Amino acid sequence: MAREQSWLLDELKRRGISRREFLGFCAKMAAILALPSSAAGAIAKAVATGDKPILVWLEFQDCCGNTESFLRATRPTVAEIILDTFSVNYHETLMAAAGHQAEAALNQTVAGHPGQYIAVIEGSIPTGKNGAYCTIGGKSALQIAREVCGAAAATVAVGTCAAFGGIPAARPNPTGAVAVGDAVPDVKNLINLSACPMNAENITALLVYYLTVKQWPPLDQYRRPLFAYGKFIHDNCERRAHFDAGQYVEMWGDPAHRQGHCLYKMGCKGPATSQNCPVVRWNEATNWPIGCGHPCVGCAEPNFWDTMTPFYRRLPNVPGFGVGSNLDRIGIGAAAVVAAASLAHGIGEIVRHRVGTKPSDSDRPSGDKK
Amino acid sequence: MSATPKIVSPTEAVVAVYVWELPVRLTHWLIVLSIAVLSVTGFYIGDPLIAVSGPARDHFVMGTMRVIHLYAAIVFALALFVRIYWLFVGNQYARWDQYLPVSRERLRNTWEALNFFSYWRRDPLPYPGQTGTAGLAYGVVFLIQFVMVLTGLALYTVYAAPNSLFQAFVFLIPLFRGLQMVHLIHHIGMWLLLVFMILHVYLSVLFSVTERNEIDSMFSGYKEREVTVVRETRDA
Ligand code: HEM
Ligand code: SF4
Ligand code: SF4
Repeated sequence: MAREQSWLLDELKRRGISRREFLGFCAKMAAILALPSSAAGAIAKAVATGDKPILVWLEFQDCCGNTESFLRATRPTVAEIILDTFSVNYHETLMAAAGHQAEAALNQTVAGHPGQYIAVIEGSIPTGKNGAYCTIGGKSALQIAREVCGAAAATVAVGTCAAFGGIPAARPNPTGAVAVGDAVPDVKNLINLSACPMNAENITALLVYYLTVKQWPPLDQYRRPLFAYGKFIHDNCERRAHFDAGQYVEMWGDPAHRQGHCLYKMGCKGPATSQNCPVVRWNEATNWPIGCGHPCVGCAEPNFWDTMTPFYRRLPNVPGFGVGSNLDRIGIGAAAVVAAASLAHGIGEIVRHRVGTKPSDSDRPSGDKK
Repeated sequence: MSATPKIVSPTEAVVAVYVWELPVRLTHWLIVLSIAVLSVTGFYIGDPLIAVSGPARDHFVMGTMRVIHLYAAIVFALALFVRIYWLFVGNQYARWDQYLPVSRERLRNTWEALNFFSYWRRDPLPYPGQTGTAGLAYGVVFLIQFVMVLTGLALYTVYAAPNSLFQAFVFLIPLFRGLQMVHLIHHIGMWLLLVFMILHVYLSVLFSVTERNEIDSMFSGYKEREVTVVRETRDA
């Protein structure tokens, strides 16, 4: 047990984080992963004594939001130190190296540790114009992704852009942007951590799970870990009682809004979106969108921008009827037109004295001559 | 033809033709009833207009609407599947080929019906089952109803327990490009069916007047048809 007194514990001490706080972190991770609290001990041991996995973090067509999400902590957290548990060999925003030095670090990792490192990808990958819309060091994002993800032990697509194409892939998708999974068909162990941005707690929990269990967690049909995406926002929402009761906010700041009623009629996409926001929350569990009175905009789902907009309406626009069209009004209009047309046709029948007249022999239909 | 001709005049007779078998009539009215309930509750689910105040624990309006919607959906889906089964085992008027213009006779029939609706043709249509046009329209309605069941099942995965058998239908969601599109299509489907129902009721009334007992036939199963007996015997 030479490694028992690990570098991690020293590091925690150096940064003024008590062992108690560290164990608290491990218990929280166990909770996010839906493991019994007894798992916290195993997590603590695995994290403190495990080997240092290698991680490369690439950014393509992104806004850096996932990196920001990961770094947003107001003070050094255990989660950050967990990231230090990994040897981050390449991260465009964070690394000190630049230019050729940075390229060399990446090449060294890919060539030197094939099948051993974890690739984290942020941003979508443009395929239009031969990938010319996003190049780094003279190589297209597509080339880099295929090289790096192709040789990785696992690829974690962070954020909705990397996971599903996200905003760059929204109609009309001028750059031909695609998700990592579509850009690298032979990618191994792809894990999508969608959301805009992904929640730092979820990547931390994912990495902790990997360190502890030495396997990747069970995934849903979009390759998202079930521990974070196994339930709908609507399932765990604190306003759900008002949804079932039938109490809805009708206008910003109305009495229902002030009383915390359900945001369904304000366009809440919670019933169509899976993620653990209501439980894990954001900004160190300070609050979350619906908690502070704003509807969920469905950021974690495929086709996010195309199908979750308009954000403040329940349903997407009706195709062919323009932005902000109201389906029920169109439906009532169509019903009225058909009713009026039927009435007019009926009057036409009466006017032509057709109703009640006997068929004349002369224009006996052909189908009748059996 | 099952019934013997009754002589009305030397040249004309009225025969009662057994057109709609019991399963056809039964599923027809079950589908009408369930669509009515599904539309009222579905409209509320889509746009909850009833306002309730006081503590949430005192009310369960949306919850009740959704429960009624789901029970009606069970009736609807089962009736639809019985009817679809009957497309393959029912009599000639209930069979699947009535809903597609596949034969030359069906095509001519479609043409004649279109002439009738555009006032071109004076005579009512002699065919006791559906005209080609109506058959085609009902074919489309079958399809819409089937899509309602598929999208309904996809929406239900949101509420079904994680280990429920109904979770088998989650694969439908990406086929429709996500749950929001499923909601939209399900909601559009309701309006298409309601618009169809207006037309359908009008035409049934029209045919009840121009022909005979069109509406009644969906209760009794029989349609009355006039045939020119004398000429037919001479022709034969
Ligand atoms: C002709 C038949 C039907 C009609 C007219 C109908 C109508 C509707 C409408 C208008 C909505 C609201 C959609 C929205 O705006 O989001 C809805 C929701 C729903 N329907 Fe149906 N529906 C029908 C059949 C079914 C069937 C067969 C099922 C089968 C399970 C079903 C299950 C559901 C579910 C689960 C919801 C979602 C409730 C929610 O999002 O809270 N429906 N229906
Ligand atoms: S606020 Fe949104 S997620 Fe919460 S209960 Fe209402 S519709 Fe569902
Ligand atoms: S509440 Fe909805 S929109 Fe907000 S972060 Fe969570 S999934 Fe995304």
